[in-house]
Amino acid sequence: MTDMTEDAERQDVIHALAASPDLHMCFAARPSGLYRSEDGGLTWHNAYGSLSLETPLPTGAVALLPDFATDRTVFAGVPGGILRSADGGLTWISVQLPSPPPFVCSLAVSPHYAQDGVVLAGTMEDGVFRSGDRGAHWAAWNFGLLDLSVICLSMSPAFADDETVFAGTDSGIFRSTNGGRAWRELEFPPDWAPVLSLALSPGYGADGMLFAGTESAGLFGSNDQGRTWKPLGGEVITGAVNSLVLAPDFPAQPAVLALLGNGLLVSRDGGRSWSDWKPGLPVDRGLTAVAAPQGLGPGAPLLVGLADGTVLRI
Amino acid sequence: MPRTNTGRVVFQPATYRRMQQGIDKIVGAIRPTLGPRPRIVAIERILDERMPELLDNGGTIAKRIIQLPDRDEDMGAMLVREMLWQLQDQVGDGTATAAVLFQSVYNEGIHYLTAGGNAMRLRTYLEKGLQVILDQITATTVHLSGQEQLAQMAQSLSYDPPLAKLLGEMFDIVGAYGRLEIRAGQSRELEREYVEGLYWDWGLYSREMVVDHSRLRTEFENPAILISDLEIEDPEQLLPALEVALRAEIPSLVIVAGRLSDRAIGFLLANKNPQRFQVIAVRTPGWDKPQQAAALEDLAILTGGRAFIHVAGDTFNSIRPQDFGRARRAWADLRTFGFVGGKGSPRALRQHIATLRATFGQTVGTVLRGELLQRIGKLLGGSATLWIGGATEFEITSRKEVAERTAAALRAAMMEGVVPGGGVALLSCRLALQQMLAHSDAPDERAAYRILIKALAEPFRTIVANAGYDASEAMAEVRLVGPGHGFDATAGRVVDVMKTGIYDPAIVLKSAAYAAVSTAGLALTVDVLVHRREQPERASVHIPSKRKKL
Repeated sequence: MTDMTEDAERQDVIHALAASPDLHMCFAARPSGLYRSEDGGLTWHNAYGSLSLETPLPTGAVALLPDFATDRTVFAGVPGGILRSADGGLTWISVQLPSPPPFVCSLAVSPHYAQDGVVLAGTMEDGVFRSGDRGAHWAAWNFGLLDLSVICLSMSPAFADDETVFAGTDSGIFRSTNGGRAWRELEFPPDWAPVLSLALSPGYGADGMLFAGTESAGLFGSNDQGRTWKPLGGEVITGAVNSLVLAPDFPAQPAVLALLGNGLLVSRDGGRSWSDWKPGLPVDRGLTAVAAPQGLGPGAPLLVGLADGTVLRI
Repeated sequence: MPRTNTGRVVFQPATYRRMQQGIDKIVGAIRPTLGPRPRIVAIERILDERMPELLDNGGTIAKRIIQLPDRDEDMGAMLVREMLWQLQDQVGDGTATAAVLFQSVYNEGIHYLTAGGNAMRLRTYLEKGLQVILDQITATTVHLSGQEQLAQMAQSLSYDPPLAKLLGEMFDIVGAYGRLEIRAGQSRELEREYVEGLYWDWGLYSREMVVDHSRLRTEFENPAILISDLEIEDPEQLLPALEVALRAEIPSLVIVAGRLSDRAIGFLLANKNPQRFQVIAVRTPGWDKPQQAAALEDLAILTGGRAFIHVAGDTFNSIRPQDFGRARRAWADLRTFGFVGGKGSPRALRQHIATLRATFGQTVGTVLRGELLQRIGKLLGGSATLWIGGATEFEITSRKEVAERTAAALRAAMMEGVVPGGGVALLSCRLALQQMLAHSDAPDERAAYRILIKALAEPFRTIVANAGYDASEAMAEVRLVGPGHGFDATAGRVVDVMKTGIYDPAIVLKSAAYAAVSTAGLALTVDVLVHRREQPERASVHIPSKRKKL
């Protein structure tokens, strides 16, 4: 169990976690800033040290590149802008978004970033901002996005071909099939929203499977690109589904990890049955974020963020 | 036939013959425009001596043909003209297809009737066959998706690759119901612009309300919006709203009002503390009360505010803080106002759009449909503008017409799907009719199916012939290759039309088939022509030697 040593007294919630595939470099986004670990989450330091900030810079989202091993670019979402680091979080370049300052709460980097340079940012009140030049310039692209409270974003693993992105919002799910420039609402009943988390199958281009975790209606799955949905998890998944992770070789290994506010559950059969990932987690302290950089195999390490600002490595 | 001013009555067989001559003339003028290699029809202008109008659009040509000199022929021609005009207004395209279909059904129908067939029964069976055609078209309908397919569709409608590429991109973004404006540009190129948020073409009440003088507009962040169509004569009518806004610590307010007197404007401009509170006023959008009511409803749903409506007896006396609408940003200049990020309930907004879409689907009138489309487009939260450039005004005007026509058909295609183009979808309907023909014994029924089977090949044959190829040869080739194949008149070879991107909007083709067959069926039942003693009013405009003659 690891506290943010520099700022442990703040006890602020972990909004998002990101880690390199080798788990060497980890990032935790918190209201008090972005924290960085170079030892797999054992010790943490403020990643904004080079900015010499006078006040904490609340950070709502963090994302690493898919090929972080070779390109150490990190994006962080902050109020009114997006920070970009090309050196693994040591130094930062700030890009302002149009006023009034949007609060970036989710980031999605194209799986083919090296070729297309596409990054999307979801905001609490201003919809989706899109950059097609590696984060240098951003513009709002909200055609058809009828709900501008974007809680989560998820890109198709075959983004280079299908340009598909999903956005979970306060009132449902929207899909873009042109790289995030225009959106169409999906037949996801508004009563099930807000949608807190989305996860697309690595084989989405072929199987059309995706999962959506909601605030209070449970977990839902679709195997037709979001046209129809069915509940998953039955009586087991009842609370807020804060985060979803699928196995890298899903559906060959149909493992789904669901981070609930009060539990960390795994399904090894595509969502039909569930069990605790590991007994003894401090669920009473609230689980808010998870990262699984090495997949969901037995014994794979996870980072779990808590509502009190702690990051657990389990 | 000499024209008389006596109330002349024409009986058979002259009725069929004279009407047919008029129909042949108007269809003859439109037939060359069908397909990707259309011929041009030059039409003399009415009011001046400028160069003739050069047209390749059947609907416009039909509109320009005001009258034929022979009144018997004119009745046949005007029947076709009215059908094509309505078709053009309803779906924006398909007029040339409808014209050749109509002509074939009518002419073959006359052959049968003059040999002793029964017109009323023939019409009944034509309509039975028509239903089969419509069902077949529906069965082959597929939906387009993605920029590339939309651009292909636009290409098969406009035959203008740069325009098609841009329209494909723009419709991919704004969607079937999105707001797309096509305007004449200032440069030689095509240009496009995307605007975030929504706006109305109704602006500030006073130039003095402009804050940013370099851009001649005012922008507020997180403003409150007071939505109304109230007519404010006395500044005191505004006081309750302003007091509530100040008490609620609202930093900026946009007042939407039906009328604001000079005294009321002066009162708002006399704001002594703009650092604490800023206010502007804009006109309620809409030319009449129904349009204003619609705009107020949209504004209220988008911003989560309450609409204060004059005819409901509303005043600002009982206003509460929650009655103000909210948005992330609002802006206004002297001509327009708009906002981004309305704070209304997304669920209510989605429900509202769904209701408007359903109403749109059930509405027939062109004007009403246009207004509904505009409303839906605004509510979807963005707009696109295509600027049409060109070397001359004539080039800009004609390219703009093509762009508007293509955009309307693209919209229809996105809403209702597409079918194989180049006449192939109609050709493929013939199989179902041939099966019906094989199972029917009644002579009138068999005749109707034969007439339709022949007519359904006519658009294909015309497209091929217009491109300069032999229609019979192309037809034989297509038969050999099999279903789904047609003749690419641009490349001059037989292709799989869907794979090649040759589409027709399903709604356009269905509307054309419906209009042509049902009107031809009706025309075949016309037995007597009765002329008025006086010329119809439309022909009474005195334009010496300038009346359209074919």
